[in-house]
Amino acid sequence: MSLRADSHTGPRVGEKVERFEVEKAWLVDPASGREGPGEIVVSGGLLESVVWLEGKDALGVTDAGVVVAPGFLDLHAHFREPGFEDAETVATGSAAAAHGGYTSVALMPNTEPAVDEPGVLERIRSAARSNGSPVEIFAYGAVSVDRAGEQLSAMGELADAGVLGYSDDGAPVRTSKLLRSALLYAGMLGLPVVDHAEDTAMTAGAEAAEGYVASVMGLAGWPEAAEVNAVSRDLAVFADALRDEPRARLHLTHVSTAAGLDLVRRAKAAGLPVTCDVTPHHMAFTDEWIAGARRWSWEALGADGKPRDPWADGALVAAPYNTALRVNPPLRDPTDAAACLAALLDGTADAVATDHAPHTVVDKEVEFGRAANGISGIETALGVLLALVDAGKLPLARAVAALTSGPAGVAGNWPGAAATPAARSRGLVEGASADLVVFDRADRWLVTEGALRSKGKNSPLLGRELSGRVLLTIAGGRLAYEDPDPDRT
Amino acid sequence: MTAQAEAASAADVKTGGAAPGAVWHHRHLLDLDVVSWPEIELIMRTTDEMKGILARPIRKVPALNGRRVTTLFYEASTRTRVSFETAARNLSADVVSVSTATSSVTKGESLVDTVRTLEALGAEILVMRHSVSGAPYLAADVFGGHVLNGGDGWHAHPTQALLDLYTMRQHLPGGDLHGRKVAIVGDILHSRVARSNVWSLTAAGADLWLCGPATLLRGMDRWAVAWSGGAIPGRGRFHVTSDVNEALRDADVVMALRIQRERMQGGLLPSLREYATRFGLNAERVALARPEAIVMHPGPMNEGVEIAPDVATSGRAVITEQVTNGVAVRMALLYLLAGSHDPAHAGEAGR
Amino acid sequence: MTDRQIMTEDEIRRAIVRISHEIVEKQVGTQGLVLVGIQRRGVPLARRIADAIEEHEKVRVPVGALDITFYRDDLSLVAQQPIVKGTDLPFDLNGTTVVLVDDVLYTGRTVRCAMDALIDFGRPRAIRLAVLIDRGHRELPIRADHVGKNVPTSREEIVKVHVAETDGRDEVSIARQSRAGEPAAAGNQ
Repeated sequence: MSLRADSHTGPRVGEKVERFEVEKAWLVDPASGREGPGEIVVSGGLLESVVWLEGKDALGVTDAGVVVAPGFLDLHAHFREPGFEDAETVATGSAAAAHGGYTSVALMPNTEPAVDEPGVLERIRSAARSNGSPVEIFAYGAVSVDRAGEQLSAMGELADAGVLGYSDDGAPVRTSKLLRSALLYAGMLGLPVVDHAEDTAMTAGAEAAEGYVASVMGLAGWPEAAEVNAVSRDLAVFADALRDEPRARLHLTHVSTAAGLDLVRRAKAAGLPVTCDVTPHHMAFTDEWIAGARRWSWEALGADGKPRDPWADGALVAAPYNTALRVNPPLRDPTDAAACLAALLDGTADAVATDHAPHTVVDKEVEFGRAANGISGIETALGVLLALVDAGKLPLARAVAALTSGPAGVAGNWPGAAATPAARSRGLVEGASADLVVFDRADRWLVTEGALRSKGKNSPLLGRELSGRVLLTIAGGRLAYEDPDPDRT
Repeated sequence: MTAQAEAASAADVKTGGAAPGAVWHHRHLLDLDVVSWPEIELIMRTTDEMKGILARPIRKVPALNGRRVTTLFYEASTRTRVSFETAARNLSADVVSVSTATSSVTKGESLVDTVRTLEALGAEILVMRHSVSGAPYLAADVFGGHVLNGGDGWHAHPTQALLDLYTMRQHLPGGDLHGRKVAIVGDILHSRVARSNVWSLTAAGADLWLCGPATLLRGMDRWAVAWSGGAIPGRGRFHVTSDVNEALRDADVVMALRIQRERMQGGLLPSLREYATRFGLNAERVALARPEAIVMHPGPMNEGVEIAPDVATSGRAVITEQVTNGVAVRMALLYLLAGSHDPAHAGEAGR
Repeated sequence: MTDRQIMTEDEIRRAIVRISHEIVEKQVGTQGLVLVGIQRRGVPLARRIADAIEEHEKVRVPVGALDITFYRDDLSLVAQQPIVKGTDLPFDLNGTTVVLVDDVLYTGRTVRCAMDALIDFGRPRAIRLAVLIDRGHRELPIRADHVGKNVPTSREEIVKVHVAETDGRDEVSIARQSRAGEPAAAGNQ
């Protein structure tokens, strides 16, 4: 394959890509379900041609090298603006997203002030317009005023201003009663409630997932029941609301327990139009990382399907209590991680969402129990999913779908969003505006503070190499990210 | 041979005592999970020496002369802090105490900044106590000298477990804990003393029983089960039970842990009186243990709650010995840490 | 690497006998005299001197052992040298004349530590020093009152003292400084 060789006369970030070709790469098109050797040409910002190679033209082209896929859509990220610009801004977040292969990102409203009325939304929109990045920014509005869980936010006005849905993320919708009202009202507007399922009464003071690791390390446990309880509540309230308003929609974000996912599975089987997402970190990291292990979740399962004991088998290689691992929901044990992957494979989980949560050093370089929750993950999501692919746990096409058609499908499930750009089909379609990512599975990159475009350096993967270096990201026909090494071929 | 000559010969027997095997190489002592049994035995032998010093008319040696030991206590604790400071002074170290009630921490200074400031002020050995598990690991990450954990949250209190072990060895035949039953009764869930004792006593081969009300044992069974298959080579397993009679029966060592009033407020215990009735170490319960069994407590005691006053002052109670042994153990650790600068271990991942 | 023998078993025996006479001569008798061996090899040597004194004076002078581990001014040795167990001073030091006994006198630092340690135990009237070998290169103003043999050495050399009680034979030899990390025999200082 070849990229345009001359980076000096090529477009800068934000500018239209006039001419770009990829020869002999592996194309993955979730829209048609097709993958294989192919070539693409981008011209004047449009995906002018997509050619599938056959016969001897296809010789030697495998899925282990350069891959072209549609740009990714993240249904859950935090760009911290307004209010916490030290941790991230729309500009830096967009740069990070593009570096991670994302061309569209949906932002959570837990900013300061919260996005509970259109004025704040406009600030975000304006920041998105003016920073020069072509990454498409969507936004959720808060469910409640100031996310305080008391009164509904200005949902109608927010809908008119174009929010994607509503969430009090960072926290669950506080009461069942409020959740039901929100589902009804939002449903009327054709938009979803996206809930962070957590029974906060059970998690007060909790530091790490309840289990073997927390018991040994003296960390206050985060019970599994806290998520299961909340998921159960949400599903019951949703079923109730649906009877009164058939357009009501619920999306459960970052579900992390086997039991919670099982409730979703059964609800779907019973016909409830609920959707959910899982994060890369809940599939790949586990609570034993807090003790100092760094093996992938699937490597931490013994032959009997039970979690290994990191103190017994020499798995501890890093210092314990690393605050980059403190996240909500917490990292769980290897069986829960395996359940997240299984949910993605069997469709219980409709998508992967990153829950990109950048934090400043001030908020993270403190005692574990005092550290802010969150992993800066939008740039490493692809690498983590490719680790699953490399390990034979997830087919490449499914990984790409989880990042593209999956999330688009979730948005398509929301009547008021189905016709919007969020739900547009993610595929390699001739004649459409070019929206794609080119990455090289054979090329690894080292995750360092310098390599991350996000202001949030709170990643547990610092110092680790990931495969699947992103070479180029084009969003809406314009250049979003280009790998800085021009000699790369 | 004259009696004196015999005594002199006996003294010579001691001179053969070159310690086999272990050499101390840890830069910090944060938890006992990374300390091997030979290293624990080295600590025990060094503690013997330190006890010898404490028995002298001048109970002081110049081993840490000119070295600065700084105690940084985020949690108020007069006994432990004074124990460490006494230990440091007995080794002729210069001692600085920082207790956060009176320091800039109340003005919101972060732990990292505090540690860096103390290092700039000359601290070489930092003895830390903190209410959040894992805090000393953060300190060790940014501090250029040695960190000695004086207790962090619910996680670890290595010097306490070591002095407990030392005390037990003094009273058990042959100083050997293999197969000896040790019962620890109390608020296990929140106890760093219990967790550190799990590491040290399983390494010593003891038959360890952790006992308390179900709400204060939550999660510990997972640990016991994980180790039940002999998961870690060389480590014994332990038992978790809320049946205090089963735990105490035929025990060689009985240890009570302090119950805090906050546990009632947190909805974990109906009342301290109920705890005392059902789990308190009274004479009747202690009689279930072996006749020669010793009674221990890390202090400070809530007499009448976890331990009855007559048990605390009985002949079997070794609680004041624990305090003396505590000074000796801490002297031993300060000595070993101060002498450990093996560059080969400089990169030890903050352990 | 060949070691050069500088004292045989017989030479050691004679030196000890001579030292024992010198000690009594200087003290004008055995009244108030105690011998304190510095761990490790100073201890058997102190006992042999006491045996020799007993033979010619028919009096058993008290013998003690002194471990100076915690008096060293160099903690880097902690990692390499095991704790040598045994300070045993089964007598009251106050008013006594203590003769410190060690195998080799070199820089003088060990003896300085030993004096610090002794003084923490009591207040002797006087402290004297008896050594089997004086190898020169003093770094402190310390001299031995009684010397078995003066042996000029270079800093690259190691003096190895073997005594039957700890090493199975009696011999003193000199070797060139060898592989790095090999602890100096008998911790000569």
